[in-house]
Amino acid sequence: MSGNVLQVSNLTKSFRIHHEKTNSLKGLIVAKGKNRYDEFTALSDVSFSVGEGEVFGVIGHNGSGKSTLLKCMAGILVPNSGSVAVHRRMSALLELGAGFHPELSGRENVFLNAAILGMGRKDIAGRFDDIVEFSGLENFIDSPVKTYSSGMYVRLAFAVAINVDPELLIIDEILAVGDVTFQQRCMEKFVDFRNQGRTIVLVTHSMSSVRDMCDRAVWLDHGKLVGEGDPSELVEAYTEQMLGTRTDRGDGSTRRGSGEIQITQVEMLVGENPAPVKRFRTGDKVTVRLHYRADKPVSRAIFGVQIDALGGQCITSPCARDVGLVPERVVGEGFVDLVVSDIALMPGTFDLHTSVTDFNRQHIYDYVHLALRFDVLSGKLFETGSVVTLRPTWSLTASG
Amino acid sequence: MFSTMSLRSAMAHRNLLYLLALKELRTRYKKSVLGWAWSMFNPLSQMIIFSIIFLKVFVATPPVGDPSGLKNFPLYFLAGVLPFNFFSITIGSSIASVQGGAALIKKVQFPHEHLVFSIVIAQFVTLMIEISLLTVAMLIAGNDVLPWLPVFLLILVLFAIFATGLALMLSAANVFFHDVNYLWGILAQLLFYATPVIYNPSATSLPAALKAVATYGPTGSYITAVHNVMYDLRFPGPVRWIQMTAMAFLSFGAGVWVFGRLSPRFAEEM
Repeated sequence: MSGNVLQVSNLTKSFRIHHEKTNSLKGLIVAKGKNRYDEFTALSDVSFSVGEGEVFGVIGHNGSGKSTLLKCMAGILVPNSGSVAVHRRMSALLELGAGFHPELSGRENVFLNAAILGMGRKDIAGRFDDIVEFSGLENFIDSPVKTYSSGMYVRLAFAVAINVDPELLIIDEILAVGDVTFQQRCMEKFVDFRNQGRTIVLVTHSMSSVRDMCDRAVWLDHGKLVGEGDPSELVEAYTEQMLGTRTDRGDGSTRRGSGEIQITQVEMLVGENPAPVKRFRTGDKVTVRLHYRADKPVSRAIFGVQIDALGGQCITSPCARDVGLVPERVVGEGFVDLVVSDIALMPGTFDLHTSVTDFNRQHIYDYVHLALRFDVLSGKLFETGSVVTLRPTWSLTASG
Repeated sequence: MFSTMSLRSAMAHRNLLYLLALKELRTRYKKSVLGWAWSMFNPLSQMIIFSIIFLKVFVATPPVGDPSGLKNFPLYFLAGVLPFNFFSITIGSSIASVQGGAALIKKVQFPHEHLVFSIVIAQFVTLMIEISLLTVAMLIAGNDVLPWLPVFLLILVLFAIFATGLALMLSAANVFFHDVNYLWGILAQLLFYATPVIYNPSATSLPAALKAVATYGPTGSYITAVHNVMYDLRFPGPVRWIQMTAMAFLSFGAGVWVFGRLSPRFAEEM
């Protein structure tokens, strides 16, 4: 097994789900020792190995066993059977600032936290200046951390964690901390890590980080390893599977408005195909069709659409008034089309909300929140780590 | 199983123990005006209350030191109550420390027993400060305890080992059954009265059974030895030494075993 930094062999971990959690002697006595519980298998027979210098991703939906796997690797949980062999100095970052004490100063907490992560006093003293510099908290290091903002707190914790100098780093979903500048610095640190030939295991929901950063990945589903290999292929397969399970999602849409005009249905069409779809590829010609019904005539109604990324961030919010589509009179049934000839959304999941209002956009006739959730798969056009593309052109001009 | 459990990481974790104990001491009286003086106020107020009850309400005669001849109830009380409080606070705080360490235990791999050891160390440091004040008081009262301090310290170390064992056992059990926490509150009170802190086990009309508990019970035996050394100025007998040593190591061994068995399950139980 030379070259392997981490070896997970036939790992199985199950938990007892108590029907009535007995944390008292009384409960135990009442149940006469027969504590009723179900076995829940969080991981079953998982095996893989991570080689020296690899950036290794672990993906899977919520409850797939990612966290359990991580905790087993970190030595926090003891598996029922199988083993985890770690051949390098490991640091597992499951939570930043675990063990920070609010009353102690930043300086004291750096020493304590680094010791919890397994560093010796001389090591910490030698790296102390680096840690403080990385956190950017030089002026606050002797104040108690309870006076820190949450951003400062996380920065200091991350600075400690990253300076523990592990040869194997296990990270759980913590790439998105701090402000943009700090995230940038974290990213640089990770790249440094990778370039120094250190090994990183990354557990995340962010498909783009897996695709961009990882050399190899595994996919967990209900505690079983269902895929291993090239991250792009795995991410693709994973996204496909997630979509398959989406159709039976209950309609979580909500609506409000006075109801003079109602949006009865929202469809998305690709190309000239009349069958509505909920997924398409980057670069497709996409039509958003809003069916409406107005029982009485309404004048100067304005239709609008908003597309949000899954995190809730608004990507675009076009409105018919912007292009001068202001119908003098709307009555009966019909539909409004919004055509995008070459959609610039990058792969991911998006939510579409729609509205119809008066001309001033003040009075809402109808607003449907979460009218449609759709997915974009990767097409010919591709940009790493983004939500939309501006379709830039690149050129390089050498002078002299 | 984990290769990280090397000598190197053991050394590193020794550092953790030191820092955890330091944290315990530094944060204890943060934000209090009188700070460390508080650690002395509790036993002093107890001393005043019990002295009034003992001397004025029950009009009892204070024990006479043999061979020191000292006849001073407040000092007799103080010599007993300081080690006893160390014992009961150490165990109570250890239970709280492991329970309160849940966030850490669930997120970081580290030797959980350090949560207990750090409490023991911090409490022992506190005890040492209190003991130095007791020593001064004894000297003022004319009891020359200075030559006896090394023996006293040895007794306290054995007592601390005994307390550590119990602390390990109870704090581990408490993770599974929180009743242990409350049970300990009652048990500590029972032990307090079963220990010759507020009474003199030899001079009163105590029934034989109670007398045996008071002088040879778990905490009684250590406190009796403390009275021998600090109040009577006399060397405890060999039986007493054997009992104290045996109890200390039995308790410690059992504590380490129980804690070692249960601590791998802490993370999922918490």
